[in-house]
Amino acid sequence: MNRETVLEMKNIVKDYGDFRAVNGVNFSMKKGEIVAIIGPSGSGKSTLLRCINGLIGVTSGEIILTGDTGMVFQHFNLFPHMTCLENITYAPVKVKKENKEVVKERAMQLLKMVGLEDKADVYPAQISGGQKQRIAIARALAMEPELMLFDEPTSALDPEITGEVLNVMKKLAESHTTMIVVTHEMGFAKEVADRVIFMDNGVIVEEGEPKEVFENPKSERLIAFLSSMLRA
Amino acid sequence: MDKVLGFLPFMLEGSVVTIEIFVLTLVLSLPLGLPVALGSNSRFKPLSFLCKLYVFVFRGTPLLLQMWFFYFLFPMAFDWKLQAMSVVVVTYVLNYAAYFAEIYRGGINSIDRGQYEAAHALGLSKRQTMIDIILPQTMKAILPPIVNEAIVLVKDTALASSLAVIELMKATNSAVNRLTDLTPFFYAAIIYLIMTFVLTLVAGKLEKFFSRYDAKEEW
Ligand SMILES: Nc1ncnc2c1ncn2[C@@H]1O[C@H](COP(=O)(O)OP(=O)(O)OP(=O)(O)O)[C@@H](O)[C@H]1O
Ligand SMILES: [Mg+2]
Repeated sequence: MNRETVLEMKNIVKDYGDFRAVNGVNFSMKKGEIVAIIGPSGSGKSTLLRCINGLIGVTSGEIILTGDTGMVFQHFNLFPHMTCLENITYAPVKVKKENKEVVKERAMQLLKMVGLEDKADVYPAQISGGQKQRIAIARALAMEPELMLFDEPTSALDPEITGEVLNVMKKLAESHTTMIVVTHEMGFAKEVADRVIFMDNGVIVEEGEPKEVFENPKSERLIAFLSSMLRA
Repeated sequence: MDKVLGFLPFMLEGSVVTIEIFVLTLVLSLPLGLPVALGSNSRFKPLSFLCKLYVFVFRGTPLLLQMWFFYFLFPMAFDWKLQAMSVVVVTYVLNYAAYFAEIYRGGINSIDRGQYEAAHALGLSKRQTMIDIILPQTMKAILPPIVNEAIVLVKDTALASSLAVIELMKATNSAVNRLTDLTPFFYAAIIYLIMTFVLTLVAGKLEKFFSRYDAKEEW
C-alpha cells in the first residue's frame, strides 16, 4: 500500500441473505483524490459506501483504511433534538473528547464555510432541505475524517436547491478533501471528479477520468446508462 | 355536616398515603421500564423472551390478583412478613414497569433507522446513541401514553384498600360506614379529581418542553 493511499478494497463481496449486492470490487484511493460513483438504482453503490464506513460488514474481502471516514446521507439524518451547532459539536466533544471551546470555534468556521453561521442556534426542523444537507456536511467534517463519503447528497432535494449543496462540495474539492461521491449529478461528476466509477450489478464495469468515461464510454451498459440519464 | 367535616382530616391522611403509593410507584417503575424495553428489543433471544414474558404476565393479569399473590407469597416463600404497604408498592412497581416498558419500546422503534446510521457514522457508541440520540427523541411521543398510565395509577391506588392500607378510598369507606352519610364519597371524588387535574397540568408543561425543537416547520 502506497504511503499516499487512504483506502484500499480487495475483492469486496457483500451478500444480503442469498442476494449478492456487491460482487468482487477492487479499488483504491489516494489522499486528495475525488471519486464519483455512478450507476443505476440497485447496482450496489450505497452498499459499497456502507461497507467502507463499517455500517455493515463485508461478506468477504478486505478493506484497509488509514483514517476515519465521515458520511453524508441522502436524507441528511440530522439529530432533530439538537440545534445545528450542537449537531456539529456533539461527536467531536463526546466521541473524540476534544475541548468544547475548540470544537465550537471549529464548528463556527464550518458553519461559515457552508454559509449558515446564522443558523447555529436553530433546530433542523426550521431550515430547508438544502440547508440541512449543508449542516450535515459540516457535522461530518467536524470530526476531521480522512475520507468523506457522500451517498446521493442531493437526491432528496428539489432541483433548484441542489446547487447550494454542490457548491459546498466543490469548495471541499478545491481544498483537496478526499472524497467518494455517489451521485446522479453527471455535470458535477464531470466537473469535479478526478475519477469516475460506473457500477452495475455489484461490480465496477468501467472506470477512468471523467472525460474518458462520459465522452468515450466503452461498455454497452455504460452507454445505455448515460443515455438514460440524458433523457431523465 | 360538621360531623362529616370532622372526618376530613382522616381522609386527608388517607390522601397522603394515596400520594405516597402514587409517587413511589412512578419513581420506581418509570426507570425500571427502560431496561425491560431494551431487553425486549435485544437480539439476545433468552433475554428478549424473558422481558416479553414479564410484560405479558403483568399486563395480562389483574393488578388485584398480583397484589394478593405477593401478599401471600412473601410470608410463605421467604418468611418475610412485609407490611401491606410494601406489598402494594412492589406489586404496583412491577405492574406499571410492564406498561411503561411497552410504551418505551414503541417509542424507540418509531425512530428512523437513519438516526442510528448517522450516530454510527460519527463514531458514537451504542450507549451514547441510545442515551443521547434515540431516547431524547422518543420523549414527545411517549409522554401522552405515560400520562395516561399515571392517571390510571391515581385511580388504581384505591385497590390498595383491599390489603387494609388506609389510603383515601379506605378512609372514605370507613367514614361513610360510621356516618351513614354518602357525602365523604363526594369529597373523595373531588380529591381524586384534583390529583388528576394537577397531573394533566404538569403533563401539558412537559409536552411543551419536549416539542420545543420541532416548533414551527417553516418549509
Ligand atoms: N438491507 C438490505 N437487505 C436486503 N437487500 C438489500 C439491503 N440493502 C440493499 N439491498 C439490495 O441490494 C442491492 C443494492 O442496493 P444499494 O442500496 O447498494 O443500491 P444503490 O446502487 O445504492 O441504489 P440506489 O441508486 O437506488 O440508491 C439492491 O438490489 C437492494 O435491493
Ligand atoms: Mg443508494
